[in-house]
Amino acid sequence: MLDTPDHGLSAGLDHHALNAMLNLYDSEGRIRFEADRMAARQYFLSHVNQNTVFFHSLDEKLGYLVDEGYYETQVLEQYPRAFLRRIWEAAFAKKFRFATFLGAFKYYTSYTLKTRDGARYLERYEDRVVMVALALARGDEALAMSFMEEMLEGRFQPATPTFLNAGKKSRGELVSCFLLRLEDTMESIGRGINSALQLSKRGGGVALMLTNIREHGAPIKGIENQSSGVIPIMKLLEDSFSYANQLGARQGAGAVYLNAHHPDILRFLDTKRENADEKIRIKTLSLGVVIPDVTFELARRNAEMHLFSPHDVERVYGLPFSEISVTEKYGELVDDKRIRKTKINARAFFQTLAEIQFESGYPYILFEDTANRANPIAGRITMSNLCSEILQVAEASKFNDDLSYAHLGTDISCNLGSLNIARAMDGGDLGRTVETAVRALTAVSEMSAIDSVPSIRRGNDESRAIGLGQMNLHGFLARECIHYGSKEAIDFTSCYFAAVAYHALRASNALAREHGRSFAGFADSAYADGSFFAKYVTRDWLPETPEAAALFERFGIDLPSRGHWAALRDAVIEDGLWNRYLQAVPPTGSISYINNATSSIHPVAARIEIRKEGKIGRVYHPAPYMTNDNLGYYRDAYEIGPEAVIDTYAAATEHVDQGLSLTLFFPAEATTRDINRAQIHAWKKGIKTIYYIRLRQDALEGTGVEGCVSCTL
Amino acid sequence: MKDMTGTRPLRAVNWNRVADPKDLEVWNRLTANFWLPEKVPLSNDVQSWAQLSEAEQRLTIRVFTGLTLLDTIQAGTGAPAMMADAQTPHEEAVLANIAFMEAVHARSYSSIFSTLCPMAEVDEAFRWAEENPHLQAKARAVSDTYAPGADPLKRKIASVFLESFLFYSGFYLPMHWSSRARLTNTADLIRLIIRDEAIHGYYIGLKFQQAAARESDGRRAELKDYAFSLLFDLYGIEALYAGDLYDGSGLTEEVKAFLHYNANKALMNLGYEALFPPEACQVNPAILAALAPDSENHDFFSGSGSSYVIGRAVPTEDEDWAF
Repeated sequence: MLDTPDHGLSAGLDHHALNAMLNLYDSEGRIRFEADRMAARQYFLSHVNQNTVFFHSLDEKLGYLVDEGYYETQVLEQYPRAFLRRIWEAAFAKKFRFATFLGAFKYYTSYTLKTRDGARYLERYEDRVVMVALALARGDEALAMSFMEEMLEGRFQPATPTFLNAGKKSRGELVSCFLLRLEDTMESIGRGINSALQLSKRGGGVALMLTNIREHGAPIKGIENQSSGVIPIMKLLEDSFSYANQLGARQGAGAVYLNAHHPDILRFLDTKRENADEKIRIKTLSLGVVIPDVTFELARRNAEMHLFSPHDVERVYGLPFSEISVTEKYGELVDDKRIRKTKINARAFFQTLAEIQFESGYPYILFEDTANRANPIAGRITMSNLCSEILQVAEASKFNDDLSYAHLGTDISCNLGSLNIARAMDGGDLGRTVETAVRALTAVSEMSAIDSVPSIRRGNDESRAIGLGQMNLHGFLARECIHYGSKEAIDFTSCYFAAVAYHALRASNALAREHGRSFAGFADSAYADGSFFAKYVTRDWLPETPEAAALFERFGIDLPSRGHWAALRDAVIEDGLWNRYLQAVPPTGSISYINNATSSIHPVAARIEIRKEGKIGRVYHPAPYMTNDNLGYYRDAYEIGPEAVIDTYAAATEHVDQGLSLTLFFPAEATTRDINRAQIHAWKKGIKTIYYIRLRQDALEGTGVEGCVSCTL
Repeated sequence: MKDMTGTRPLRAVNWNRVADPKDLEVWNRLTANFWLPEKVPLSNDVQSWAQLSEAEQRLTIRVFTGLTLLDTIQAGTGAPAMMADAQTPHEEAVLANIAFMEAVHARSYSSIFSTLCPMAEVDEAFRWAEENPHLQAKARAVSDTYAPGADPLKRKIASVFLESFLFYSGFYLPMHWSSRARLTNTADLIRLIIRDEAIHGYYIGLKFQQAAARESDGRRAELKDYAFSLLFDLYGIEALYAGDLYDGSGLTEEVKAFLHYNANKALMNLGYEALFPPEACQVNPAILAALAPDSENHDFFSGSGSSYVIGRAVPTEDEDWAF
């Protein structure tokens, strides 16, 4: 371990103590930002610098790292030595400094290359950035230089698996998020568990769809009351994920999605109850519920909602339950005598959902019909992933008795990276930043081949789907003295995301031209006939408030007009697109700390955030650009309330082809009704998914820690 | 149990007629905060546990054994003894909840043990707890006041010292570990316990203050003398106990500062002025900040956090579904 030999047990104000002072006001009631800067400094002086291996020159360093098997030779061999010197020099000339203690601490704890015994550091931040750039550029010097610049300037940040692994010799995969379908056969279930193990071993988070699994009590081979439903499969998955923990680096993580109209839905939710029996309690598996529009309609009428046996649906329709739109077929399904069904009250269902969310934060929600209406690709979206931002179509596989594939379907992998909105605006050339990011993410897709799960490999090969995300919206707005959730802020969000969508499509179109072909299925997509572009060529997506207009003006960002969009439409119809999906906005945990950004497009969870993770313990993080003088612009998510957060996300959702991780924040005094109302509002506003529900309980008067920043907000 | 032989009728508790609104507020808070140790994925700490040195492991087990003893006393005799003194049926109900949660806490330490360590070491620690003179002395000092016939107000004083002061020499260690990224899930569980104990100490202190206000000046002076002299005694024992535990790791001085801080908090709960001057209460900020239970932004994949509660269920109305 990297701790001092006595695990820092000796007293005195070390960097941890200095950092913790952020959470305690000084005697004048001011936040001690300087303590955090001292913590970062102290951390470098007393820890990082003393534990970093020193090299006299770049040649000596690269020679050592290649000879000792730390760096992948092939990555460096693609470039002449002179260029390597040039890019390293250019990187160090930028004088990168971490803005916070947590940024530095997180980087050195979790990302940087270390000696095999974990005792000494072999890379500084610049080294990591350059290696990622070199690996992704695959020999293209100009592209490598652009990647390095975008990353080191903080405009583009690849997601953790890419940033952590690229260029290292013994490494995990560059992508780490996977979505698998399960079908109602033992072969598919077995294959699914095996895939979950394989993907966890490689550092992935895996989501599985359980909607097609026959319900508790369904017949097996015609004999009634045989099936035990989805719960035992969840138990198997949970245990599989804990078993495969990547050499102890991190527990495997998994999620399961179930349709709200599956007969096991209440059992599924009850696994997260506080008083659930140990035999059915699910502790570490994440849950998601897929809700179609008809459920809302039934709740509106305060009617019963029918739950349908997936086993019977498949027998009657010849299609798995997930391939049927419950909204479309609801009446038909209810009237069909061949389909077994049970009833629950629709409003009671929503209330139960909220109760479980109170107790556990779960389940996530996928608004199925909204996601499918906005999906430009032929096929159905039936599930999401561990962070609820990936929404893509998949295709079922079929298996032979020996578990080989009778038909190789497609499953989903996602590779993500995010722009730092504040830095991207500062850069003044949003088009270039987006295009560079799209090329970097595309490289990750092209370099990935998950052979252990052939359906994932096929899905990636055919789609080259990427997920360009965004972070630091709140940080940027606050720095520019605009309140999160205000009219101007939402106006800015809408224009910004429209511009990103434009440039991402433009870049993917250019890539298709370079390769002379498109992703598989382009001809059947809403891009091919131009219908996707209708909303961009019939109206403008330009600022409506003078404040938002002034922002783009001040940073020199040109926004695309409907003329630009029409030209792009024609180019796409002509040459196609290289990537089946382009955008997805992840929750950005770790990378936003390194990048000094607020997470995703959320408001801050607290002015001084308490961050806890297995590897770093409990650390305090000040919101970016915050000072004792501009605190007013950093109202936290609980103060801002769910409505403004949903409205902000709705503005962005309009221009994102996949999803956005949207967490809702409530005070503990809220009721299930408040949560239900927020869900209804989100659904009405066209939100595609809801991620966690988070609660904050204020300390009972007289029981808090005195002078504590996080208690007194 | 209450005396049922006299002329007093047996009263059913009516939560729609609450004499002291604090009873309802605290009841609501305590029930919303209900939890069981099974909710915390303690097994995620197995690897972290293996990285502690043998001495650190022994220290940790002993600290938790000491805490188990205190929780056992509070659940088995402390809270039930105070129930007999309750002024209203609502207070009695709150105390019943406190008694139950103390039993949950005592149970939780066993969950930690069974997840992390071999039985033999745990047995050794329980033997140690029976034989350690300081631990026994402090447990004895408090439980004496719980004996039948003892002064009900002095009982509350001792109880507040237990809830708000004596636990904290133990709580120090998991907070210290978690600030160093060790045993972070165990720390989550301890933070849930701290969340409860903070309310228990606060509530019992409040009931003490209410009762003391009805007493004569002379009696109040006697109670205050008693409180301070008991605190002196307990502090003396606690300082030796902390030395026994922490001398080997060089943490004793820091733990003492933390004890001073919490002794003052206990006195504050009783409505008394602080005993230790601020200079003596310079708690390591990493520990102090770690006590704040709320709004932690954790990575959901490695822990469950300590901020979820049981919510108030309210059905939706037609107006909510207007679309």
